[in-house]
Amino acid sequence: MKRITIIILTCLLTSMAAMAQKGLNINSLFDGRFKKSPTATEIIVTGQQAQEIGLTLYHSLSVTDKKDAELIESLVAKDGAQAVDKEVEYRNGKLYYGFYTMKQRNKYPNCYIFYLNQNLARKSPKNNVTLIYMESYAGPEDIKKLIRK
Amino acid sequence: MNTLHNISNQAELEQLINRYFDGETSIHEERELKQCLADCPWSSELIDEARFTMGYFVTHGKEQRATKKSHRRQIIGIAASIAIVMGIGATIFWQQNHVDNMCIAYVNGQTINDDDAVMAIVKKDMNNMAGASQIMIDQLSSLGEAIELDNK
Repeated sequence: MKRITIIILTCLLTSMAAMAQKGLNINSLFDGRFKKSPTATEIIVTGQQAQEIGLTLYHSLSVTDKKDAELIESLVAKDGAQAVDKEVEYRNGKLYYGFYTMKQRNKYPNCYIFYLNQNLARKSPKNNVTLIYMESYAGPEDIKKLIRK
Repeated sequence: MNTLHNISNQAELEQLINRYFDGETSIHEERELKQCLADCPWSSELIDEARFTMGYFVTHGKEQRATKKSHRRQIIGIAASIAIVMGIGATIFWQQNHVDNMCIAYVNGQTINDDDAVMAIVKKDMNNMAGASQIMIDQLSSLGEAIELDNK
């Protein structure tokens, strides 16, 4: 009976660890709260469609609400602090653009975060903040090439 | 308390014990006697002697029942464990499969399931990111050129 208990506990801990792998702050935004929001666009692409663009997961969120935008910026900044590589541009003390390569997890695809605050664009600014979370086995340079295609 | 014998008094029990020692009891009566000796509160020299003689069998029977119960518990435990592990496995498998083939957009509260429409939005978002990224590259490039010119 002890052995069985150990096996069950091992299975539970393994599955919990697998779920905890995606422990980024921005993941709290993808809890479904924006699916019905009249001021947000959330996109989820996985499987074949994602593979066609070299990804295993594409999850994005665009918001027009100021509070939501601020929340996204703060969470991106928190995750950005943990990134292994980043390209960021601040305008007027606010994050305008960010591309973050997150720490690689063993055997798991690489995680990338893109952030863009179009309110701060010099040419035709828009009331829109976009966050893109990507998972791919491709390296950061390939990801940058991918978005320029 | 449920009794598995029909012996209602001490005299009847002693009579049955005597018949047992004389070898006149049937298998069914022997079973009843064993059960009664294990359950009943009566006591006499004959009854105690019978208990002493047959006690082994009664205790042994209880041990067997206890062992059977223990085995049954183990089997139930193993079955429950397998069910839990399979349940966890099925949940994880379902979650992965559920996420593995998705192409969906929620635009201002409206759900879009059309793959082409969703991918068009993805493309637009990527273009916006590429634009911002390009601005950064241009800035770095012009900064490099300015430093180069300044150094000449």
